[in-house]
Amino acid sequence: MRRPRRRRRQRQQQRRQQQRRRRGGGWRRRPSGLRLPQPGAGQSVLGGPVPSRTARGLPHGAPAPGAARRGLGARLRAAPRLQVHLQVLFVAINCWWNQGRCRKKKHFFYFPVIYLYHRSFGPIEYKGPMSAVYIEKFVRRVMKPLQYIPSQSELLDFLSNYEPGVLGYFEFSGSPQPPGYVTFFSSALHSLKKDYLRTVRFGVITNKHLAKLVSLVHSGSVYLHRHFNTSLVFPREVLNYTAENICKWALENQQTLLRWLRPHGGKSLLLNNELKKGPALFLFIPFNPLAESHPLIDEITEVALEYNNCHGDQVVERLLQHLRRVDTPVVKSLASEPPIQLLDPPLITASPCCNTVVLPQWHSISRTHNVCELCVNQTAVGIRLSSVSVPQCSFLEMAAALDSFYLKEQAFYHVSDSMECSNFLSSYSPFSYYTACCRTMNRGMAGFIDSEPDVFKSPSIAFSSLEKECEVDIPSSVPHIEENRRVFPEVDMNSTNFTGLSCRTNKTLNLYLLDSNLFWLYAERLGAPSTSQVKEFAAIVDVKEESHYILDPKQALMKFTLESFIQNFSILYSPLKRHLIGSDSAQFPSQHLITEVTTDTFWEIVLQKQDVLLLYYAQWCGFCSSLNHVFIQLARLLPTDTFTVARIDVSQNDLPWEFMVDRLPTVLFFPCNRKDLSVKYPEDLPITLPNLLKFILHHSDPAFIPQNLANPPTKECLQREAVLQQHISHLEREIQKLRAEINTLLRAQMQVEAQLSSARRDEHRLLLQQQTLKKQHSLLQLHTEQLQILYEQKTRELEEVAQKLQELADASENLLTENSWLKILVATMERKLESKDGAENLNAPEEEAHSDYPEPSGSPRLPGSTPPPANISSPLAAERSNESRTD
Amino acid sequence: MPFRLLVPLGLLCSLPPPHLGAPGPDGSAPDPAHYRERVKAMFYHAYDSYLENAFPYDELRPLTCDGHDTWGSFSLTLIDALDTLLILGNVSEFQRVVEVLQDNLDFDIDVNASVFETNIRVVGGLLSAHLLSKKAGVEVEAGWPCSGPLLRMAEEAARKLLPAFQTPTGMPYGTVNLLHGVNPGETPVTCTAGIGTFIVEFATLSSLTGDPVFEDVARVALMRLWESRSDIGLVGNHIDVLTGKWVAQDAGIGAGVDSYFEYLVKGAILLQDKKLMAMFLEYNKAIRNYTRFDDWYLWVQMYKGTVSMPVFQSLEAYWPGLQSLIGDIDNAMRTFLNYYTVWKQFGGLPEFYNIPQGYTVEKREGYPLRPELIESAMYLYRATGDPTLLELGRDAVESIEKISKVECGFATIKDLRDHKLDNRMESFFLAETVKYLYLLFDPTNFIHNNGSTFDAVITPYGECILGAGGYIFNTEAHPIDPAALHCCRRLKEEQWEVEGLMKEFYSLKQGRSRFQKTTMSSGPWEPPARPGTFSSPENHDGVREKKPAKRGIPLLSCPSQPFTSKLALLGQVFLDSS
Repeated sequence: MRRPRRRRRQRQQQRRQQQRRRRGGGWRRRPSGLRLPQPGAGQSVLGGPVPSRTARGLPHGAPAPGAARRGLGARLRAAPRLQVHLQVLFVAINCWWNQGRCRKKKHFFYFPVIYLYHRSFGPIEYKGPMSAVYIEKFVRRVMKPLQYIPSQSELLDFLSNYEPGVLGYFEFSGSPQPPGYVTFFSSALHSLKKDYLRTVRFGVITNKHLAKLVSLVHSGSVYLHRHFNTSLVFPREVLNYTAENICKWALENQQTLLRWLRPHGGKSLLLNNELKKGPALFLFIPFNPLAESHPLIDEITEVALEYNNCHGDQVVERLLQHLRRVDTPVVKSLASEPPIQLLDPPLITASPCCNTVVLPQWHSISRTHNVCELCVNQTAVGIRLSSVSVPQCSFLEMAAALDSFYLKEQAFYHVSDSMECSNFLSSYSPFSYYTACCRTMNRGMAGFIDSEPDVFKSPSIAFSSLEKECEVDIPSSVPHIEENRRVFPEVDMNSTNFTGLSCRTNKTLNLYLLDSNLFWLYAERLGAPSTSQVKEFAAIVDVKEESHYILDPKQALMKFTLESFIQNFSILYSPLKRHLIGSDSAQFPSQHLITEVTTDTFWEIVLQKQDVLLLYYAQWCGFCSSLNHVFIQLARLLPTDTFTVARIDVSQNDLPWEFMVDRLPTVLFFPCNRKDLSVKYPEDLPITLPNLLKFILHHSDPAFIPQNLANPPTKECLQREAVLQQHISHLEREIQKLRAEINTLLRAQMQVEAQLSSARRDEHRLLLQQQTLKKQHSLLQLHTEQLQILYEQKTRELEEVAQKLQELADASENLLTENSWLKILVATMERKLESKDGAENLNAPEEEAHSDYPEPSGSPRLPGSTPPPANISSPLAAERSNESRTD
Repeated sequence: MPFRLLVPLGLLCSLPPPHLGAPGPDGSAPDPAHYRERVKAMFYHAYDSYLENAFPYDELRPLTCDGHDTWGSFSLTLIDALDTLLILGNVSEFQRVVEVLQDNLDFDIDVNASVFETNIRVVGGLLSAHLLSKKAGVEVEAGWPCSGPLLRMAEEAARKLLPAFQTPTGMPYGTVNLLHGVNPGETPVTCTAGIGTFIVEFATLSSLTGDPVFEDVARVALMRLWESRSDIGLVGNHIDVLTGKWVAQDAGIGAGVDSYFEYLVKGAILLQDKKLMAMFLEYNKAIRNYTRFDDWYLWVQMYKGTVSMPVFQSLEAYWPGLQSLIGDIDNAMRTFLNYYTVWKQFGGLPEFYNIPQGYTVEKREGYPLRPELIESAMYLYRATGDPTLLELGRDAVESIEKISKVECGFATIKDLRDHKLDNRMESFFLAETVKYLYLLFDPTNFIHNNGSTFDAVITPYGECILGAGGYIFNTEAHPIDPAALHCCRRLKEEQWEVEGLMKEFYSLKQGRSRFQKTTMSSGPWEPPARPGTFSSPENHDGVREKKPAKRGIPLLSCPSQPFTSKLALLGQVFLDSS
């Protein structure tokens, strides 16, 4: 019943959307700014698992079986709803309904499944996160798979991006669809099939001069840009010029500077494989795929380019410059064909050397803003360095800047709601100035959330653009003195060190980006604060060393901090300390029977105080938790002020290597004053209370000897007294326990006695009952015997009676016969008498005839000497029948 | 700049985000509080319908709104749901049901009952209710936890099962008549789980009551099974208890075998018994070698090790949870994620799932609301805190409510392909499925106690520490407190020993250590040299030959987790480098 209704709703929805589409009307039009022909673009029709011919829209797949994805529909509806729906139709199909066509055609292993049907290309499955912005981005990318590159700056933008780019050069002057263009177009769509977020971008150049910059001469040729290796041109002579081949070629030969890690949530070896490659730098940043620009990623790209730029490659330099927003005319080919020395190395203004300062709460500015970016700005006039692209920064400068910042904090002026900037003259050098921009850290509150309203007001972007303002625009508005920069050689040394560092260290880092809106959990597991409002975090993970290092979460994630973080990791005696994750010790009550040790409190509790018995455990380990009661008993026995029973959950708390164990549970004993002599509880010995006590006793005994001997006697006495006191209190506790025990025993005894007495009563009663029963039984037996006799007697009597009755019956039978005979006789006699009377009255002959007549045989009185005469047989018969009737 | 075009579009996106009750895989985990309440509502919907429509029958028939007897005539659903009531925090109903059971339960009935089911559901349910009754505010007698009405009922029920164990091999029959014992002509073929799933309940009974007969028969049966394993270390599915010959020779971890392995581990933890653990580790090795393929576990021939059925059974889903108990968390997670994909495909776990075909198996498409996968999720969530596990819980709640909820309870799903229902609600739905779901969403439940709280109970046999966590669930999800077993073993000797040691401890502190030391030097504390002085259970006779090889790895312990476990979240798995 439920399903048809849903179908109906879907159909309605479809209709509504179609109407909307018609009303919108503009969906067939190309966006006005786009001059590039995008075959099928604009009219790209996106459909679900329905025949694409009929131009259906983007499905939300089906509701998961049992609608486990509750709310997903809502999210998706909310998602790319806005402008995209004018050009894309969204359709949801219940592909679970077992009577439906979809179910018959498709065999899905999970839900929801999202297909985007492109009119000229067919279905493209979306496999990305179920998040509105990502889906919208995907839709937009499918709608416009090629990026048109009209100018040099666009070209630089395109190439300086951290994601690899593929460029096609097509001349549109001859025909509206130059040869190969459609193939190139569909190869761009093809790449979206492979990776939904398209890490490889596809661009199109139509300008001959631009094409030359990337060494493309012939229309229809395709160029793959690589930052460090030689860039490639698609080898038409080797590979067929097909969409699949171009796509495959690009994916195989691409070189990624920064890689996005986007675990899809299902089982995957992604991190495993990436981490096995070597130490990895994970950069967690909030990412909005729809945002126009990503200043933070640009900054990171800059770091990555410099880090990997081993040979001082010119192209890379050029891109770096571009990233720093220095617009210089492109004078040289960008293709990495024979690198020619730049004739006129561009004038580089020194990049600011910046540092982030977290203001203490008492500070006047901190009432509104608690993080300040402090930059040393110097203009290099007339000085040209070969390695110009490096920010100059020294601690000296920074310290000075900091000082002046604190001195001149009142000079701030307002830039926006969330930020204030100021410029100061350097106190030690009138020729350089500082810029300080302060912002509040709660900027993340508005944070970037799916389909967040103000994605383009995204705070980080706001910040970065303002930062730019501070650095570039403000100096012009605020008077300051410019001077030749002061050159600190050692600073130069330091900073140049970073360029190409990846080739000079044996701990080369791979750089990865993770969207902290989706994967902040990993950051938390690596030690990022879970409550942080700014979801930016950096950590280096080294699986081989089983260690990881984090960039102090208090520091903002930016170029400078990142560079020093990487440098610190790379140098031989790294100052970075392995980061130990620990649970929050505040969550455990301090006055607890068993002291809960965390990473932070380990030193204080285990290594500082008295004798400590430390249990290493983990909550999930069955063998640990079933021993809880033993340790609780132990802790209750031992005096807490001289002996600590402690435990540490090692699945939540990292410890320095020397204190780690590899099996759980493990018990270690740290004797007082000789923490170096920690002893391990023997593994094959069952962990029981007596065994633990013996273990403690054995290992703690010599602890007090030297101390006692060294102590003056009075102190010894005092100590002894204290110990005695403890013992006494222990004994008192034991006595109390025993008393309680006795009480329970007494109660139990009473209970048992009560039960016993009731049982006895019962027994007695039963006995009585038994006796009465016995009596009754014997009585009954007697009765039975008597009855038996009686019965026999009666039987006999009955037999006799029966016999008599039989006799009587026989007799009566005889009598009956006799009787009948008599009757006959009587009848005969009577008849005779009558006939006699008649004969006497009539004649004698008749009398003679009657003399022959026989008498009835049954007559007793007249035994059958004479048979009755035959002529009277019929009246006799009549007589008999009368008789029998009367009987 | 073609991208400029997007700017106004983007600004239009600036509507407030839709508020979502149950967020998905975009980083935010399902809200536990919300689902806790949903699970509670599920429980009461089913429980109230049972009381209204089916009590005192064993189970509810949700489609016809009546009851029927299934495993005997014990009001089974009521016994099974009893401790779930307490876990959900309903103390008063727990007390009421205890009264009802005391008045009504009678095992002197002429009924043929499954030995296995009666043990895990009735004996297990009564034992756990007995051990939890103090927590539930039931007034207990002075000898508690070593005596009590519920314990006596459990003992009575268990005694009715003892005749089944009187076979030449010591392995029990599958069915027994509660009044007359084993019926003449009863089939001697019993499944492996029906032989090896007694140690948790029976050892608990023996410890609590002091009558060793229960633990003894359970151990004999376990030993016989251990001796019957094949040369490659596997056990089959069914065995003849008279001859000891294997009748069904499919070896795997699922139906017919499952809880045997479970009880080896849980018995080892509960009794601190190295022998049981050594058995399990041997099996585990064989299972990994012969049945594991790409983190799936298949069915193989027990003598040859050749694959006989490339099938995943929903009963096998307990395995990851078991692995997590012994610290094999990365393997557990990998297998769990495999199983979760099956759930995602159907919205439930079909009884059989053909792995190469990726679809259900004929006649085995049902999902009787089994708990196993949720059970594993609960254990793994305890270990990893991975929100993926909460997502499974969310999926399970939504699926069950959507598909199987009917007016009178929750109906078994007969066919996952079209969501047809069956007129049955198994008692394990309230005993296990709901309980594990609730515990998954309630990480602060007393069952998850990590030892930070406890009850000190004075008994006639001394002071006991109870309720300190580490509850062992029997295979019907009835929690057993391991401390209670220890408490009732009446270790008076241990107490005196401890007293003596404490005396020594204090005298040591008083500085008489030199004297003490001399006395101690006469018998230096060398545990291996004098094992007799410690109350260690005797171990290792079954696996003595293996012992030297394993030296160094204590059997009753878990490995600490590798570094990569920090990042093994949200579907990421790591291959161990070793």
